[in-house]
Amino acid sequence: MRKILKFLNGYIKEIIAAPLFKLIEAAFDLTVPLVIAAIINNGIKTGDKIYIYKMCAVLVLLAFLGLAFSITAQFFSAKAAVGVSSKLRRAVFEKIQDLSFSELDTVGTSTLITRITSDINQIQNGLNLTLRLLLRSPFIVFGAMIMAFTIDVQGALVFAVAIPILLIAVFAIMLKTMPLFKKVQAGLDRVTGITRENLTGVRVIRAFCLEKSESDKFKESNDLQNSIQQFAGKISALLNPVTYIIINVAVIVLVYTGALRVNLGELEQGDVVALYNYMAQILVELIKLASLIISITKAIACAGRVEAVLDLESSLEHTDDTSISSSKAKVEFENVSLRYKGAGADSLENISFKAMPGETIGIIGGTGSGKSSLVNLIPHFYDAAAGRVLVDGKDVKSIDPVLLRDKIGIVPQKAVLFKGTIRENMLWGNPDATDADIYKALEAAQAKDVVDSKDGGLDAEVEQHGRNFSGGQRQRLTIARALTKKPEILILDDSSSALDYATDAKLRSAVKSLPYHPTLFIVSQRTSSIMSADRIIVLDDGELCGIGTHEELLADCEVYREIHESQFGKEGENA
Amino acid sequence: MNNTSTVIKVLKRIKHYLPVLVISLVLALISVALTLLLPIIIGDAIDLITSPGNVDTEAMLPLLYNAAVVIAFTAIAQWIMNYCNNKIAYNVVKDLRAQAFEKLQKLPFSYLDTHSSGDVVSRIISDADQFAEGLLLGFTQFFTGIMTIIGTIVFMLSINVKITLVVVLITPLSLFVAKFIASKTYAMFKAQSSVRGEQTAFIDEMINHQKIVQAFNHTDESMERFDEINDRLAKCSLRAVFFSSTTNPSTRFINNLVYAAVALTGALSALAGGGLTIGNLSALLSYANQYTKPFNEISGVITELQNSIACAARLFELIEAEPEPSDKGFDTLEDVSGEVGVKNVSFSYVPDKKLIEDLSVDVKPGQRVAIVGPTGCGKTTLINLLMRFYDVNSGTITVDNKDISKVTRHSLRASYGMVLQDTWLRAGTIRDNITLGKENITDAEVIAAAKAAHSHSFIKRLPNGYDTVIGEDGGGLSQGQKQLLCITRIMLSPPPMLILDEATSSIDTRTEIRIQKAFAKLMQGRTSFIVAHRLSTIKEADVILVMKDGNVIEKGSHTELLAAGGFYKTLYNSQFAG
Repeated sequence: MRKILKFLNGYIKEIIAAPLFKLIEAAFDLTVPLVIAAIINNGIKTGDKIYIYKMCAVLVLLAFLGLAFSITAQFFSAKAAVGVSSKLRRAVFEKIQDLSFSELDTVGTSTLITRITSDINQIQNGLNLTLRLLLRSPFIVFGAMIMAFTIDVQGALVFAVAIPILLIAVFAIMLKTMPLFKKVQAGLDRVTGITRENLTGVRVIRAFCLEKSESDKFKESNDLQNSIQQFAGKISALLNPVTYIIINVAVIVLVYTGALRVNLGELEQGDVVALYNYMAQILVELIKLASLIISITKAIACAGRVEAVLDLESSLEHTDDTSISSSKAKVEFENVSLRYKGAGADSLENISFKAMPGETIGIIGGTGSGKSSLVNLIPHFYDAAAGRVLVDGKDVKSIDPVLLRDKIGIVPQKAVLFKGTIRENMLWGNPDATDADIYKALEAAQAKDVVDSKDGGLDAEVEQHGRNFSGGQRQRLTIARALTKKPEILILDDSSSALDYATDAKLRSAVKSLPYHPTLFIVSQRTSSIMSADRIIVLDDGELCGIGTHEELLADCEVYREIHESQFGKEGENA
Repeated sequence: MNNTSTVIKVLKRIKHYLPVLVISLVLALISVALTLLLPIIIGDAIDLITSPGNVDTEAMLPLLYNAAVVIAFTAIAQWIMNYCNNKIAYNVVKDLRAQAFEKLQKLPFSYLDTHSSGDVVSRIISDADQFAEGLLLGFTQFFTGIMTIIGTIVFMLSINVKITLVVVLITPLSLFVAKFIASKTYAMFKAQSSVRGEQTAFIDEMINHQKIVQAFNHTDESMERFDEINDRLAKCSLRAVFFSSTTNPSTRFINNLVYAAVALTGALSALAGGGLTIGNLSALLSYANQYTKPFNEISGVITELQNSIACAARLFELIEAEPEPSDKGFDTLEDVSGEVGVKNVSFSYVPDKKLIEDLSVDVKPGQRVAIVGPTGCGKTTLINLLMRFYDVNSGTITVDNKDISKVTRHSLRASYGMVLQDTWLRAGTIRDNITLGKENITDAEVIAAAKAAHSHSFIKRLPNGYDTVIGEDGGGLSQGQKQLLCITRIMLSPPPMLILDEATSSIDTRTEIRIQKAFAKLMQGRTSFIVAHRLSTIKEADVILVMKDGNVIEKGSHTELLAAGGFYKTLYNSQFAG
């Protein structure tokens, strides 16, 4: 909670002013019964009409003052709540920019999105309500009690007994229902889960004739959810009647003791009416307070979730070891192992190889063999668990990530474009690229025809996730995006899978003849894509099981031969 | 108005709980009447408190005793009423949800494929929830609110007509003010939600692809964009939040004016000797407070109710959707040999866009049929028809010479083992996902199936082996691993016929070859339909159906078709020649 509270800092003025103005308004409210008592005791009893007019004018004045003060309070509290939540959103977004891939993998994107949006909205509401009302209700409750004491100490004792009992009752009911409401929410999550699962898996469910058992499963969760809901409802339904009983029993006691004291001449009739009015005010405020507390607990739960994000720290290691390796390799792996957070086994084990400047390295292997993991180590997206990854002879852990990633162009497996224009997407690679630069990159990526086919060329609109482009078009554009960077190291992570063989081949030869000769890493499932590489790394279950040229590997690497034959037949009948 | 029909449907559902409803309404009446009676009794008691020495405590005690009885009954009535309302609202929603889910199992694919699953989920979950909330609020506040207003007017009239008129005339002012502010702030809220939507879309895009943002060192730029939107949002929010929050002080201000007016007219008429006692005045003041409260609440409740009726309408739309035609009393398919006949079948999803036209194919028991063709040629559609996910427009499909539209869907679907490109896994253990709830399956059988599907080796390396719990949609498994699991399901108890629709598309070619071997063994004596892109999968088939634009244009074995030099050869060369 402490971290979130720090965000209140810039708004101390508003945070003090809002409840203060609210309290002044409440004080006006509290004087109303006194005025009424005065009207009864002094006005009606003495028949003083002028006095009654005066006092009613006071009531109207109080109403106006109350309006002015409470609107001022609303303004300060809105300003503080909106301001704090805006700062919080920014801080969370900024934090996410700093997270390493390990954290992004473990936290998950959808929860990050709900935290930065709906959770922070809840905090805003909670803070707004807190500033406006949290102090007001207890103030009225205790204020009413104090006012009662000023009228009559003995009568006020009724308040001193009734209020603690009320508070205990309200809190007991709330403490009991709060965990129940959480359970209701969890039950709803289960019902949602089953429904969603059924919709996405409807073909499988019908193919396996599971309709009946699914309905039974749903019914069970639905009934359970219903019974928790009923139970929670039954208890929270107690809140109103219980407070009603306590307050009104107090009223009876008040009237009776009041009557006895008026009889003795210690009190006047108007005072009894005033005490009665204060009791009524307390009832109204307590009901408000109860619903307020529910919103505040929700906001606090959300604040906890937001704080959890702010507490995340990038786990990427940094070393100050700036020694430079003597080898001239552009990229070098020294006995590298990788283990993902929470995984039971290494995803890469003891990998060593060198890539000289301008070389092309092919990487091939089965499903889950660690191909992408290997290339993700080069831009230091993950930490090697053992061994060192060197770029230009330096351990990547010692290089500023921004400088390191400036050297590297990476084309991820999933071709993603961003909402905007084609040009805007291309400028991700290099903000200063000219149209001529962009066209060069597009040509090498075999993507010029994609741009030409769209109205507006480079200014053509790209929809969210690039969904107005086909898979193959997206792949070529993402390759072009990486090329506008003119990277020293280019990584193609299975990024031509949607291209036909001829285009794929043209793409490779165009990249090879780029004037700046990037060191090229090609990850692929197809041997045809990597056949001509200077060296091919064959991975099997995270282990390096062969490295060499196509011909060498065909001769001595069983795994490679099997992969190749699975695609081209034993005698290479179509190669 | 369409709302009326929805309301009628809601009422029909509530009918099951009619006794509870009647109890609730009666109790609401009682509790309102008693709540209003209490100030009168207390007022009478206060009237007895006159001056020192003249207080009639003898007369007061029965009054206070009555008050205590009234309080006790009010509280009990309130509690039972709340309990009844909860029961009605939650049970109606539970019934509706169960009914909707039941319907889900019977809806035709033409409905499911054209409605996004998120939309259907939100109907069953959030619409139902909002409806329950609205129903509950309607019962507890709307009904009692109106009764309180009417009751209060009656009671006030019984005390003093003039003061009652003052109250009745001024109070609607607060409604008017509330409405005025709401209409003014509506535009501000719309502006806020549009900027909020813009920001959410931006956040969604950036966080989803955070890895690319970092790989391209694009964090500063996206921070800048974020700040720009965030500042705009803060401005819009402040306006909307502040102006809407003036509603409460404003209506309270009006209420305070009413209060002052009652005090003034009340005090004056007490002076004038119009028979108004001080106890009466205190009762009137307390009524003035009670009377204005439901007004403020009801304006909120009405919007809430409108919203809940709209939600109910969406839920009913789902419940009343046309189900698949019933197949009760139809024959069942048993001991299927696997002879499949497709005769003159035509089909289209949309009436004016023809897809499959006059298609005829005969498949002998045990044959392996590969279906190839360019995207959109109708391969998956053919499978939809074989499984009766959709019904043919004309022509017939037979299995063992029985028209499949004349047998039960369950027996037809149980005759096929199906693996699709889109894998589906549920939240649960690996074992649950393999057995899919079938009982009497031993661990040895599960492991044997997993070995056949080549999934055993990765499953045993998971933290808890077969008991590892995977999240919704397979959680951390790779696409290839998910496909292996789906294949394992089929291996567990293979039905007489198989449908493999791109079943191995995400599995690397080497593993695929091993699975193919397992499939080959499995397919012996089983009619199988295979949709695939990869040559290795297709070459071994007995018959290859080459489809284009909804028709089988070529038919034969791999070598025959290559020799024929038709469309298959072109397709084959474009895919595999490098």
